[in-house]
Amino acid sequence: MTEKLAILWPEIFLFIATCLVMITGQWPSRAIRAFTPWICAVALFAAFGAAMSSPGSGSAHGGMFPEIVPYAKMLIAAVGMLILLLLSGTVDRELEAEVDAGKPFSSIRSNRGEFYAFFMFSLTGLMLTASADDLIWLFLALELTSLPTYIMVAISTERKKSLEAAVKYFFLGALGAAIFLYGFALIYGATGSTNLSEIATVFATQTANGGISSLGMIGLLIAIIGIAFKIAAVPMHFYTPDVYQGAASPVAAMLAFVPKTAGFLALMFILGTVGWNDGTAGGGHLPVAIEATLWIMAALTMTVGNILALLQTSVKRILAYSSIAHSGYMLVGLIAGPGIIGGPFYQNGLAAVLFYLLTYGIMTVGVFAVLASLEHRNGDEADDMDDIRGLCKSHPVLGWTLVICTLSMLGFPPLLGFLGKVGLFTSGIAAGQYALIVILGINSAIAACYYLRLVAAAYIDDKGKVSSPVYASPFATRKIAGVVSAFFVLFLLVFAQPMINGAYNASKYVPAVAGEVEHNDHTDRHTQSSPAKADEDVALTHKALID
Amino acid sequence: MMTASILSSFTSFVSPAMVSDASGDHGGNASAHLANMVEHVGIGPKWVLLIVFLPLLGFVLNAIYAATSNKTKLPAWTTIALLAASFIATLAMFLSYEGTPYTVHAFDWFNLHYGDKSFVANFSFYVDKLTILWMLFVTGLATLIALYASEYMSHDIGAGYCRFFAAFGLFVFSMSCLVMGDNMLMLYLGWEGVGLCSYLLIGYFYKKPSAVAAAKKAFIVNRIGDLGLALGIYLTFVHFGTIQYAELFANETLHNYINAAAVGDFSGIPGEAQWIALLLMIGAFGKSAQFPLYVWLPDAMEGPTPVSALIHAATMVTAGVYLIARFYPVFLISENALPIVAWIGTITAFLAATIGMAQFDIKRIMAYSTVSQLGYMFAALGMLSTTGAAFHVLTHAFFKALLFLACGAVMHGFAGQLDLRKLSGVAWMKGWGIVGVTMLIGCMNLAGLPYITSGFYSKDMILAEAFITPGYRLIGWILVITAIMTAYYTFRVFFRVFLGEQHAEPGEDFHGDDKSDFHPHAPGWAVNTVLITLATCSMLAISLAYIDKAEHHGWVGSMVAESTASFHSPYAGAVYAAHGGGELHAVAGPVGHAAPGTVLGMDAHKGMILVSGLGAIFGVFVAAYFHGPKGWQGLFVGGRTEAGKCRMDAVAKRMGPIPRMAENKWYVDEFYAMVLVTPLRVIAHVFHWIDKLLLDGLVNLVGFLPRVFAWIIRPSQSGVLQGYAVSMVGGLAILLFVVLVVVMRAGGVA
Amino acid sequence: MMHAFETLQLAQLAFPAEMNNSVLAPYLFVSAAMFCIGLIGFMTRKNMIIMFLCTELMFQAAGLSLIAFGRHHLGSDGQTFVIFVLTVAAAEAAMALALVVLLFRHRESLSASAWKELNG
Repeated sequence: MTEKLAILWPEIFLFIATCLVMITGQWPSRAIRAFTPWICAVALFAAFGAAMSSPGSGSAHGGMFPEIVPYAKMLIAAVGMLILLLLSGTVDRELEAEVDAGKPFSSIRSNRGEFYAFFMFSLTGLMLTASADDLIWLFLALELTSLPTYIMVAISTERKKSLEAAVKYFFLGALGAAIFLYGFALIYGATGSTNLSEIATVFATQTANGGISSLGMIGLLIAIIGIAFKIAAVPMHFYTPDVYQGAASPVAAMLAFVPKTAGFLALMFILGTVGWNDGTAGGGHLPVAIEATLWIMAALTMTVGNILALLQTSVKRILAYSSIAHSGYMLVGLIAGPGIIGGPFYQNGLAAVLFYLLTYGIMTVGVFAVLASLEHRNGDEADDMDDIRGLCKSHPVLGWTLVICTLSMLGFPPLLGFLGKVGLFTSGIAAGQYALIVILGINSAIAACYYLRLVAAAYIDDKGKVSSPVYASPFATRKIAGVVSAFFVLFLLVFAQPMINGAYNASKYVPAVAGEVEHNDHTDRHTQSSPAKADEDVALTHKALID
Repeated sequence: MMTASILSSFTSFVSPAMVSDASGDHGGNASAHLANMVEHVGIGPKWVLLIVFLPLLGFVLNAIYAATSNKTKLPAWTTIALLAASFIATLAMFLSYEGTPYTVHAFDWFNLHYGDKSFVANFSFYVDKLTILWMLFVTGLATLIALYASEYMSHDIGAGYCRFFAAFGLFVFSMSCLVMGDNMLMLYLGWEGVGLCSYLLIGYFYKKPSAVAAAKKAFIVNRIGDLGLALGIYLTFVHFGTIQYAELFANETLHNYINAAAVGDFSGIPGEAQWIALLLMIGAFGKSAQFPLYVWLPDAMEGPTPVSALIHAATMVTAGVYLIARFYPVFLISENALPIVAWIGTITAFLAATIGMAQFDIKRIMAYSTVSQLGYMFAALGMLSTTGAAFHVLTHAFFKALLFLACGAVMHGFAGQLDLRKLSGVAWMKGWGIVGVTMLIGCMNLAGLPYITSGFYSKDMILAEAFITPGYRLIGWILVITAIMTAYYTFRVFFRVFLGEQHAEPGEDFHGDDKSDFHPHAPGWAVNTVLITLATCSMLAISLAYIDKAEHHGWVGSMVAESTASFHSPYAGAVYAAHGGGELHAVAGPVGHAAPGTVLGMDAHKGMILVSGLGAIFGVFVAAYFHGPKGWQGLFVGGRTEAGKCRMDAVAKRMGPIPRMAENKWYVDEFYAMVLVTPLRVIAHVFHWIDKLLLDGLVNLVGFLPRVFAWIIRPSQSGVLQGYAVSMVGGLAILLFVVLVVVMRAGGVA
Repeated sequence: MMHAFETLQLAQLAFPAEMNNSVLAPYLFVSAAMFCIGLIGFMTRKNMIIMFLCTELMFQAAGLSLIAFGRHHLGSDGQTFVIFVLTVAAAEAAMALALVVLLFRHRESLSASAWKELNG
């Protein structure tokens, strides 16, 4: 238990902060209310530090991804800080204005406490996902990541569209959760354990004895497709554009990063249980059915995301579709897998995904920060393409941030996004997924159409026919978040080495070895049964059911 | 005989056929000296980083000044102080150097390890005596020239002033990275960095179309060279598996190649390894303005004069020499690289001198003389004399900077006047004495007047080397003739502009109504101080030739000897031995083994002192006769009485179109325009039309298709919750069906 | 299929021996049926409260599977999992009700199809 505690310090810090902000957010004194984000910031710093010194992972889970925890949590804390900068002023703006005008503070109407608490809860859930070594833990962590975001979407603006976004997000999210929970139940049924390492051992044994049982395989597929909701991959992507458009830009930025990261970490763990070996010693392929599923998902996700983005006029919808497309890119890395054990970075798809999550988090925060920093006179957020027209002239800092981050999302060579994409490309090639790489290449070209449209709109000034001009919103931290992101996008290429090394180390994967599972911690077991035998039985049962 | 020697030097200067007896005893440890050099590369003290990062701080501070619209001389003083500090740190580095090279690590840049391979290129610095030699004059001259520029640029105080000194700081930083980097990627970073700064500074007067065009030209021509360099680095990594100096020069394969090359056996060295040197050489030709890539340098004079002095005369253009010197072991293993370097250098030296003789713009004359002198340095490199090249780099840095700065003072004082036909007797005008005297010292050095100038010693070393190294006698004679031409065109400037009747017409920057109202504006204390310092340095550099003379051919030789640019006698010995038997005897008659080369029957060094010394004096007298004023100022042979007229005019008329062709630079630019630029333009137009008609149509179609698909699937985003749920569940069902039924049936395995 | 029902017996009867497949099958069948009913209900009903109940049905279907598998493997993991699933379901219920009330205030309707302004 104590070893497990050692990796949980970041979560503990975040949880303490969560409890604190729930109180300070409702405090009648304005100064203490204003202190709320600072508590979050301190906790994130502490979590970052704790993650830096944390051991690789808990004892039991150490078998599969022994080094993932420090990198994943540092990534989460770092991007979390950027998002925190963005969140300022999202809720309670009118309320605070009234308080300034002399009205008494009404804690009933204030949302600040909940808002920041939910944000911290969500990040806690995300970090717990990274620490997960068990299906139960994984399920709870994923739900802890998602549940707060539903409410955050609902309260993020005072407009009806936020409610619409929330209702769609919540109901479809619950549907997705139910689907992957069912998948988890089947996996448990097929293996007799909820511990990921033990599951991996059982699957390895089954593979050695002729293949994973069909119950387990169906469980895996259902779980993967259910988790696809988190990463907004086809066919679970439909909610994305509506939710991003309905939510306030800062919250949309968070949605682009937090659930996606959780989903990819969960997918890594789930796929880790079956491994990328499929019989061949050098490694390279997932089991056929899973690879086919992911392949179809990846190809469709990229394509659907990119082509639907072509038709949009709302910048947030474009970003939502591009978020879908980016998930498709990252799925290529998951398909490619870790490559040969000890192989170079560029052949390691998992390292590429882990690095791309960081890259994507930074770029997307940068773009959303620009949108969040602009508003109409009536308080509406900037969203339409017209709103960013000529931005480089009217608001140079925001304009160039937009241009830089957008070009990076496109994968323009000297920028960070390029470096991220190269890893995905090369790992896909190393894994022999040539068709998928061609699709990836074509999609990058299609994506250029709408990204360049954004760049052109910001850079080329044809203002004049704009009916409702935009103004800089009064929250400097949002602008800072954008500038910091743009700075990272520009200069992380030079200093990317530690990040690449981190991602590379974190992606260390130890395949399970076929053999007996040791159930040390299951004292209530009355008779020892061979899991392999149990699986055969279950498989037979299932067949009987299907027949 | 001569032809045979040229040919042999061109094709293989150590031809296997000539190797008869020089085998085992030399070959085994030809690389031993290099191995010693890199055997114990230590870790250096961290303060060495100051040398590099202080100039960068200057850049940052100047950028801040620019942002805060500073309107004082603060940028100049900041830059001077930081560069001086950098110079002092360099001196400290020199004085504390203990004989073994070391590296200093700033931070990790690329540090990739995979399996048993790695790609390491960190932001760290490699210090040996070659580094120190280069850094001494780079930081020293940069400090002096920044001081000069503080006055020279004062009419631009404000944004332009900040911009100038910001680029200045960035240039010194880049140059330091280039010279001090401990790997080829750092070198490339610095290489591109100095190129960028050069571009920025040539285009400093960006409102002047010619300046913009010159900046563009410099950048584009340099890109050709940069491509060579980049490919060379790539090939080095591919072949040797590292681009870090310490590892590269300790590489066992490289040593085996050197040992093989030392006995003239190139057959065992793969072509890939030999190509490295050729590619690096192209990079060096671009940056150091060698034929055929020299065309950008004269145009680069559009930049402010301090820039011409620092970047385009003293430091940046010697980067090519540094590159070859640093990678000399790599050049030694290439059969053809060094002979090509020698010949290209010679051709450049001669060609540029012919153009220089016919120019009227004094800054351009200096530019062509720079190209010409760089040619000497390359010739020296090609003739196995890294010492000669480095020594000439050093003396040239001093006297050419001095000449440029003196010309700049004239240009500044006479409202941009640079035409030597419109100026006369400047040295006698009030306040111009110091400029006159220092200019004379500079001219004497460039002309190479015997014994009293440092330029003489360094040039003499190169010329002597041409006669010592077998197969290069023709080069030697061409370079001697070039030296006479150099003396002529140098003193042509001096006699016409600085001596004689006082006469001055203002240049294009003069905005008064009446040209007779014009009063030259004499240089201030900063300019004079810098000129005097540089003149003193040029003269003091003579002493360098006598330090350590017996063992290393002077102080510079002792510096070069302790770096990767040196190779010890086994190699040279093998070369001499290989050639000694055949050619030297045939060309120069019987010689003993102690004196492998002779000039006019004398020892090469002594003979050269005579030949080149007399040649230089002869050149000066020719200049005096054709351009010198009447009386003692024209050495009693001159006959010029007016500013614009001289004896040369009549001679030039009789020579037909030749002077005009030389003045127009032998139409090389026009030739390039005709052969390269125009056809490229035509091709570009053709492709443009193909593009427009064919590809655009195709692209539009390709761009159109995704939109069509988008229109088709857009209804799936209906916005209705149930619709989404149905689509999701349907997608799930279809996916499971496809995978479980279709794929698994087809694949046959789970 | 019928075979499974013929041998139907209570799961606890054979305790502590393993629950055999024929006993397990009906539990899985019921669970799968519940899940599908939930899915279909979610897709066809427009009332948001009913839709939410359908997701609850799906959660509990998974829970039933987990308990049955837990009994099958004679481990406590399944039961443990179910406790947590119930907790999460309760949390979701709380959120769902709050959200539905909020939505009802705005539109005076419980129909999910009232919310379709964001599309495309």
